[in-house]
Amino acid sequence: MTVQAPGAGREAPGTQTLATPPPIEESLVIFDNVSRFYGEVLGVNRVTLTIPPGITSLVGPNGSGKTTLMNLMTGLVRPTRGEIRVLGAATNDPERLFKLVGYSTQFDSFPKGLTGFDFVYSFLRLFGDSHAECEARAWKAIERVNLVEPAKRRIAGYSKGMRQRIKLAQAIAHDPRVLVLDEPLNGLDPLVRAETIALFREYAANGRHVIMSTHILHEVDMISDQVILLANGYVVAEGEISGVRSEISEQPIQVQIRCDRPSALASRAFETDHVVEVKLHVDGGGLLIKTRDADKFYRLLNHIALEGIAIESVTPADDNANSIYEYLIGGEESTK
Amino acid sequence: MNWGLWWAQIRSVIRLEMRKTFFAKRGIWVYLLALAPAALFFADSIAVAHDRDRRAELESTHPVTEKALESIEMGSTREQVEAKAGEPYAKQVYTFGRREQHEQAIYRYTDGQSDYVFIFRDNELVGRRTNELRTIPKDSLIFATVFQFFYLRLAIFFGCVGIFTNLFRGELLDKSLHFYLLAPIRREVLLVGKYLAGLIATVVIFTTSTALQLLAMGWHLSGPAMTEYLHGPGWGQIGAYLGVTALACLGYGSVFLAAGLLFRNPIVPAAVVLLWESANPFLPAALKKVSVIFYLQSMCPVVARPNDMPALAALLLSPAEATPVVWAASGLVVVTFMVLALAAWQARKLEINYSSD
Repeated sequence: MTVQAPGAGREAPGTQTLATPPPIEESLVIFDNVSRFYGEVLGVNRVTLTIPPGITSLVGPNGSGKTTLMNLMTGLVRPTRGEIRVLGAATNDPERLFKLVGYSTQFDSFPKGLTGFDFVYSFLRLFGDSHAECEARAWKAIERVNLVEPAKRRIAGYSKGMRQRIKLAQAIAHDPRVLVLDEPLNGLDPLVRAETIALFREYAANGRHVIMSTHILHEVDMISDQVILLANGYVVAEGEISGVRSEISEQPIQVQIRCDRPSALASRAFETDHVVEVKLHVDGGGLLIKTRDADKFYRLLNHIALEGIAIESVTPADDNANSIYEYLIGGEESTK
Repeated sequence: MNWGLWWAQIRSVIRLEMRKTFFAKRGIWVYLLALAPAALFFADSIAVAHDRDRRAELESTHPVTEKALESIEMGSTREQVEAKAGEPYAKQVYTFGRREQHEQAIYRYTDGQSDYVFIFRDNELVGRRTNELRTIPKDSLIFATVFQFFYLRLAIFFGCVGIFTNLFRGELLDKSLHFYLLAPIRREVLLVGKYLAGLIATVVIFTTSTALQLLAMGWHLSGPAMTEYLHGPGWGQIGAYLGVTALACLGYGSVFLAAGLLFRNPIVPAAVVLLWESANPFLPAALKKVSVIFYLQSMCPVVARPNDMPALAALLLSPAEATPVVWAASGLVVVTFMVLALAAWQARKLEINYSSD
């Protein structure tokens, strides 16, 4: 279980050199100091992860790098720096990688003119298997997502939920050991959602990887074995969901304060046990405070203001990270 | 090297692509472009057959020999002409001029093969025109001109732009290329599969059109004339035109497949290649060979350079140096392989980032 501050590159515990992968790495998805930039725009930065089998949820706000991380894992984009191994397979080796991996992307588009069955069957044929074998596998996958009846109809006439399911069928049709799913529960009604979650659980119970991104915290809580928290392209936390919550709540939060007497405010702050660090601004017009308890600190700040220190502004210094922490912690409350 | 697997994958890609290349709504214009010259040749052939029948009928009602018509000299009077050739099948006499009135007359004769037009001014033969019935050599020259000037340079060229650039670029725009890239198939194998699918489609569409054009061109020929043509240069020319059509699809196909991978907007590379191909006659010998049209023109069985063609157009149509067919075909295949290798290199680097496409 680890937590890291945005921008701080680190080695995950247990990460080993990739030059001569030991057999254990053939059961893990490994990101080794991976960065990806789109021109000058950051996709993800210095990501070092080791993902074990089970259900792993990628959580973070829009633009945090979830999809980039999945695309990197499946070779749809290449890392600017670093290396990725999926059960020992390099992401630039499609012949090996995609026998292990199935990916249901966020893209809601399909080759034109295909029926649901054609879609699953045709791409299965790219594995080089016989017509009969591909046909049997295609029907099996379609059955698993409960789409047998409309399978011979064109995808263009499917509802959003049906399109999600046929994508899922295509991703699982070759029985992959790693299932990567970008917002897989979007557009599904509650019943289908429950069935789909059961499918993921079944996969994970068989010692496989299910790596999914989601916005819906309730589902993260309900189905995930692990969670990876992303913000602004950085992994800010990873591990079991309960552990992430507790470590996040222990992680100091930074607050920028502009006031007329920063030294006086600093000495008042140090009288409390939750403030762990204070840095005075060079211009003498403010300070940065790190506190382990934001609520207590803001109450203290109210007292200080009443004591005569003129406070000009109070700004969270790690606002983006905060938003994601709140996202997760808020969810914890909502699930209780 | 897993050739068996790769071949199975290529066949699967071809199966998937065929539906799109043959039956895409946005590909209808390719069929129109391919079939337009065949339609024109059919229309022309019908007109020529009608003209031949008309001349034969007129010759039967106003019989005159070629010898009699050829013996008429300039300066002859209308009476002298009528004495040699008889009554024309059509005669127009009219006067013109404001102050000084002049008489002008036009006499039309036919010997069943050629139309003869005699123009008299004030009862003196001042002009004559002969319009021969279409012959196989004439038809061959017309066909060669249309084939080289329109069919190769425009119809097949833009047909290949439409089909081959869409193989990758179209799927990037439709946001469906990732399904291929998430399959256990090497990018090079995918590229070959897509290229072959495009090649099959274009070869079927354009060689069918070439065959139809040749059929249409010969539609008006009589049975014996057709037999004579086929036993002469006929089959060789037909084979050459079909071969050049297929090789044009091969060459332009590779160029536009690569263009679809290298450029976002296929119009830009198409315009650049069109300019390059058009400038081919003006290029140094070494650069001439880095083009498709150079090899294609070398393989065309009839040199298209009608006498009344503008000098610049004639220059565009003529290969600067004769290249043996074997060398031309080999050169084209080499250029194709080089371009496909470039495309494969680009395909290996291809990433899915639909928002920027």
